[in-house]
Amino acid sequence: MSLAPIPLENLLLRPDLWRGDRLASLGTEPVASGFENLDAELPGGGWPRGGLIELMAGRQGIGEISLLLPALRRLEDSAPIALVAPPAMAHAPAWAAAFPLSRLLVVEAEGDDIAWSTELLLASGALGALLAWLPAKSSNKSLRRLQLAAEGRLSLAFMFRPPGSAGQASPAPLRLQLAGARQGLRVDVFKRRGPPCNHSLLLPVERPVSWQRRATAGPSVTLPSTRTLELVR
Amino acid sequence: MTPLWLALHFPRFALEIFEPSGGPDDLPAACVQQHVVVCANEAAEAAGIYAGMRLSSALGLVPDLASHEREPARETDAHFRLACWAGGFSPHVSLSGFDGPDTLLVEIGGCLRLFDGLENLCALIRQGAIEQGYSPCLGLAPTPLAAEWLARGGEEGAAGQAGLRDQLGRLPVGVLGLKQRERDTLAALGIEHLGGLFALPSSGLARRFGTRLPLQLAQALGEVPDLRLPFAFPEHFEQKLELPAKVSVSAMLLFAARRLLASLSGWLATRASGINECTLVMLHEDLPPSNLLLSFAGATRDLSRMERVLRERLANWTLPEAVTDLRLEARDAVVIAGSTAGLFAQAGAHELEPVIERLRARLGKEAVHGLALNADHRPEMATRPLTQDQAGGKTQGQGKTNSPGPARPLWLLPRPRRLRQHAGKLWHQGAELQRLTGAERIESGWWNHIAGDVDADDAINEEGKPGSTVDDFADVRRDYYVAVNDAGEWLWIFNDGRQWWLHGVFA
Repeated sequence: MSLAPIPLENLLLRPDLWRGDRLASLGTEPVASGFENLDAELPGGGWPRGGLIELMAGRQGIGEISLLLPALRRLEDSAPIALVAPPAMAHAPAWAAAFPLSRLLVVEAEGDDIAWSTELLLASGALGALLAWLPAKSSNKSLRRLQLAAEGRLSLAFMFRPPGSAGQASPAPLRLQLAGARQGLRVDVFKRRGPPCNHSLLLPVERPVSWQRRATAGPSVTLPSTRTLELVR
Repeated sequence: MTPLWLALHFPRFALEIFEPSGGPDDLPAACVQQHVVVCANEAAEAAGIYAGMRLSSALGLVPDLASHEREPARETDAHFRLACWAGGFSPHVSLSGFDGPDTLLVEIGGCLRLFDGLENLCALIRQGAIEQGYSPCLGLAPTPLAAEWLARGGEEGAAGQAGLRDQLGRLPVGVLGLKQRERDTLAALGIEHLGGLFALPSSGLARRFGTRLPLQLAQALGEVPDLRLPFAFPEHFEQKLELPAKVSVSAMLLFAARRLLASLSGWLATRASGINECTLVMLHEDLPPSNLLLSFAGATRDLSRMERVLRERLANWTLPEAVTDLRLEARDAVVIAGSTAGLFAQAGAHELEPVIERLRARLGKEAVHGLALNADHRPEMATRPLTQDQAGGKTQGQGKTNSPGPARPLWLLPRPRRLRQHAGKLWHQGAELQRLTGAERIESGWWNHIAGDVDADDAINEEGKPGSTVDDFADVRRDYYVAVNDAGEWLWIFNDGRQWWLHGVFA
């Protein structure tokens, strides 16, 4: 009994197989990130669905969520978006400017409950996207469970992890390192299904003040003296 | 539509209300009435105990036999619960039996399509009964009496009229529930099976046994109509379940509560309703009863959803004292719209509500919420958590907020953090801050001052609401700026006339 040979092209259509010098193709349609130079580096040409996307941001306020907002806006209408264990209070007016608030679900959890809630939400398959802030000591085992829960679903699963976890092995197929920069958000594709990416991307993420204006803002402004303010009062 | 009756007979019912069967490691147990075994479980039967044996002989065979005195009142309650549960399958439910109800009759001819055919429906009903710890015998026939006899005789039966006479003919006369004297007469006549009765002329039968027996035979064959009194579903659901023994481990309550929830689920189905919450009341011997509120993200009657919520709640619950009784109360049933089955199976349609329920059951109701805008200029007051109807597309009537106003940060610190000032400059985490925009004055909340007196302010300070350490919680007068440092962190800072504070993060 002999098996008929399978053409290589057919094998390469599988999402878990790819040539070393090319990016993997995806089984599901990705969600365009809204940044052309980032899409070019992501397998499939956008944020992949059905797998963990690990984001390691050094600090808060560098535009780590603004990076995701274009993709979240692009999701199917009324697909719910969940925030699990957000690092601070979500400020409704800012989120309402991004998408209808009725799509947002906030889950406040601590410790082990974070991974539990994330797994439950991912496994339900009912979400358009999930943003979770995992604790610093997430074990590889719990990440693997999350990856299994995300596989085969259509949700975008963004996992925020502390920058120290870059050295730790992770089952997430896509891992990005984010850093603040003067001209935008610097993104390093740390791991992807494809050849290693050895250059940083500088993305013009949405900021409260445009970049041009910022450049002309000049050096630091001296503080208004408290005396004048008191006069105003 | 031809009528089709499904009879559920529970041969071990008297015992199973005390000791649910189904576990592989069941210990021998029997139910006794006046020192005679009424029924025994599989383990006891394997040891040689049978119905009708004297308790002393049974104890001789199995010294550690767990015996329960029969309690007809409890059996009636349990049959009532089962009838409610069966309401989930068909609105035509009836209880039947020789003395007191012991068989459940469900007319399923009209519900076959809804449950994807007869096989599927029977499997569902059987499964549902087994999950409640009962071991049912099913009987299927076009007439209720034939179905009941088949179930008693332990035969499945078939849907059609054809061959019904042969099927019934093979049943022993014991299924008729005749009196001892009549049974003796039949034995003397040499009649052991119903087939022998069918062969006799009905006039002769009527002379020997009265008119009831020939009438029953005709009713079973469908020659004479057999009208059944339908089971009257109660107007309000409040059911009590007496536990066979005091229970002090909360996980062990789950099984007993499941019987109540199954009953509730069926009762709701008959009213095309669902519930948003129900209360499981646990009665103790000395202490006042404890209430366990089960709340759901949306109106539901799905048993598995109710059970999941109950399991999470019980896992985090410590019993103050052993529980003697359970009571399930469900008020305010709301009508839920029926779901239209798709012409084509719709793949990928998932529900978020059951997930939200499980999250809430473990994390607390307040921990899982949506967001809504609050019409207030003060940033810390502009967000309102929304715990009802939040996820899943219900628009909250919020105005369009896309008008390009001043930028707002995605994250707000729970309370403003003081910024370090050094050499005339502002510092955050060791990096110098640059202010990029002009001041945006936010001044609001004077009315809170007028409404509340000094005491109210103190109370607010104790609660530690944001702002309590900055300026007065109520009256806010702040100049907000967008600032950035060399590390690329964008922050929202303000000056209240005395100090600089960090309030938000442009994530």
